[in-house]
Amino acid sequence: MKWISCAKCSLAVLLGLGSGAMADEQGGKTAVLNTYADIAQAKYNDSLILAERLKTAVDALVAAPSAEALQNAKDAWVAARVPYQQSEVYRFGNPIVDDWEGKVNAWPLDEGLIDYVDASYGGPSDENDFAVLNVVANPSFVLSGQQIDATTITPALLSETLHEADGIEANVATGYHAIEFLLWGQDLNGHGPGAGNRPWTDFATDDACTNGNCDRRAQYLQAATDLLISDLEWITAQWAAEGEARTTLLADENAGIIAILTGMGSLSYGEQAGERMRLGLMLNDPEEEHDCFSDNTHNSHYYDGLGIQNVYLGEYVRIDGTIVSGPSVSDLVVATDPELDAEMQEKLSATMMALGRIKTAAEAGFAYDQMLERGNEAGEALIMGGVNGLIDQTRSIERVVAALDLDQIEFEGSDSLDNPDAVFQ
Amino acid sequence: MRQLILTACTWVLCTFSSAAETPDIDQIVDTHVLPGYERLVSLAQDLTAAANLDCSLDNDTLRTAYHDAFDAWVSVSHLRFGPSEQSNRAFALAFWPDTRGVTPRTLSAMIAAEDNVLETPDVFATASVAARGFYALEFLLYDPAFADQTTADYRCLLVQAIALDIERNAAAILSDWRTGYADLMRQAGQNETYRSDLEAAQQFFTSLSTGLEFTSDMRLGRPMGTFDRPRPNRAEVRRSGRSLRHVVLSLRATRDLARLLSDGDATLDAAFARSLQLANDLNDPVFAGVSTPQGRFEVEALKQSIDDIRALVATQLGPKLGVAAGFNSLDGD
Repeated sequence: MKWISCAKCSLAVLLGLGSGAMADEQGGKTAVLNTYADIAQAKYNDSLILAERLKTAVDALVAAPSAEALQNAKDAWVAARVPYQQSEVYRFGNPIVDDWEGKVNAWPLDEGLIDYVDASYGGPSDENDFAVLNVVANPSFVLSGQQIDATTITPALLSETLHEADGIEANVATGYHAIEFLLWGQDLNGHGPGAGNRPWTDFATDDACTNGNCDRRAQYLQAATDLLISDLEWITAQWAAEGEARTTLLADENAGIIAILTGMGSLSYGEQAGERMRLGLMLNDPEEEHDCFSDNTHNSHYYDGLGIQNVYLGEYVRIDGTIVSGPSVSDLVVATDPELDAEMQEKLSATMMALGRIKTAAEAGFAYDQMLERGNEAGEALIMGGVNGLIDQTRSIERVVAALDLDQIEFEGSDSLDNPDAVFQ
Repeated sequence: MRQLILTACTWVLCTFSSAAETPDIDQIVDTHVLPGYERLVSLAQDLTAAANLDCSLDNDTLRTAYHDAFDAWVSVSHLRFGPSEQSNRAFALAFWPDTRGVTPRTLSAMIAAEDNVLETPDVFATASVAARGFYALEFLLYDPAFADQTTADYRCLLVQAIALDIERNAAAILSDWRTGYADLMRQAGQNETYRSDLEAAQQFFTSLSTGLEFTSDMRLGRPMGTFDRPRPNRAEVRRSGRSLRHVVLSLRATRDLARLLSDGDATLDAAFARSLQLANDLNDPVFAGVSTPQGRFEVEALKQSIDDIRALVATQLGPKLGVAAGFNSLDGD
């Protein structure tokens, strides 16, 4: 990987693409992009390793169901989220990631598509005819006028037929949150303490089976876990030496740096501060939390924030403790405007402190869905602390973009953008 | 693909080093922002008065007041920063799109339980944003399912509480502008919020491009759905017949801002005129026609014309001002 980047920068010099100083600067940007790609590869590879451990635990649960085996699978799921959430900062800047991520981390979901739900969940909604399809209980059903044979629940059935069925995003059939629902079940505690409490007997193979169709439920869980692994294998490969994500990123240095900053800013502002944190608070809805079945939302938010920070600093701690690091956006900013770099670092640290407070309180027993309750001032203050930190750091990210003078972005493939005069022809 | 690129162009972060023309921030504040919020506050007061006088559903005065106040909101709804973001005011005034049907669900639960959240305006201000603002009020005034609920007294109190909450939020936004925020923008370069004129210009530029993006992607894109699966029921405020009206109002408002930002650029203004012409010619107030090929074609043409404005804004106006749009709330999923 390093060799490739050096080959590229020397090629740039050979082609006379700039003065010596410019070449240095361009080499600097390429080095930053390589660090960013290396960290992406490490994060997805770590996610893959932990998904494989999750599979081991799931297989053990299915082979010999017990309370302990279910708990082991839940623990493996929680661990698997640690590197994955740190990878979310790659989404919005890299179309290849954004187009793919819905397979693995789509949320929120109408879980009645997958398995039995409580009566309070309701029936089909205005937005979704399949909100209570319940594939686990139904080996055959009609979907958009077509008879579907679901006698065997396979990865292909989940990914090609069920996922986003009828074009509805809430029909989430695959990924972390589908697996989360199968392991935990619905959290029926509202704003009270406690997560989903699915009995291990939902996977029992004999008369002990609760809620019916335990064999199909187990089949679904295994299929979804297998699919998660194959999806993570694919994205990890895209970040390898000749992978498409890496080559696309490296094709244009300025566009690549913009991709990094776009991912940081979009995740900070529109996605995390807005959709995932502030919205839930404004709606006072205990279901409006990212990991609503497991009550692991505090960790999802924390590791999202950490991913933004470690991409800026160019330093990621892998799940085995080794460190992937190299030249970073921070280094580029230092060279241009050291004060701005200090500001950016300070804001990112402040956000991590605020997200850390949410995590600390949650781990001590004050769950995220309790914080969302109407009139819960302490919970609101905790969540708004995170929101404000994320919004505040977005302003500095915008300033970083301005300071780095990244020139025009490319608008490939759009007549009206490439040639505005064409608009009126 | 096109969709992707245009979405990308709203967060365009590049800056342009060529000599920039700084727009007149004072003029934008004095002729665009403040009068818009003053109108909203005045019409929201009328709405509260009408609701307090007679909250029955067939009261034309109440419905007219609702339309007028809502018009005023849509005309400032692109200014999503500063005082409107403070304390979630804009969300409390306008919670839409509601992709999970939270508004009818929350209202039903509130009515069924006769939730005591109506006790005082301050308590109501802690209620879910899904049950507050213009979009919640639309369900109460125009959806037969709510008209049929037996708890007419509670429904009436709820209508009055929402109206007053709208008025209070509007007044708070205007007050913040008058007592400090306007000065932050006028005195850009002398404060930490706006460290330069360029940052103040970028704020308005972001408002312009985000407002256009919202109209294209949400107001038009949501009901259009896909060719095979149009979604007319997702049209904004279709129950009160206001869907197309919102497109027209937001185009007029963003056109005004575009004129001020561009120093009256004729090409850009002509692009707005073309969109408004298409909107005026579209005889489909709630976009019900998206289910038919011809109706869909016409809505699509309107959407395309707005995307053409967005292209001009990103590639012509941005470089001219030396700014590009910052991040906005539509950047996520």
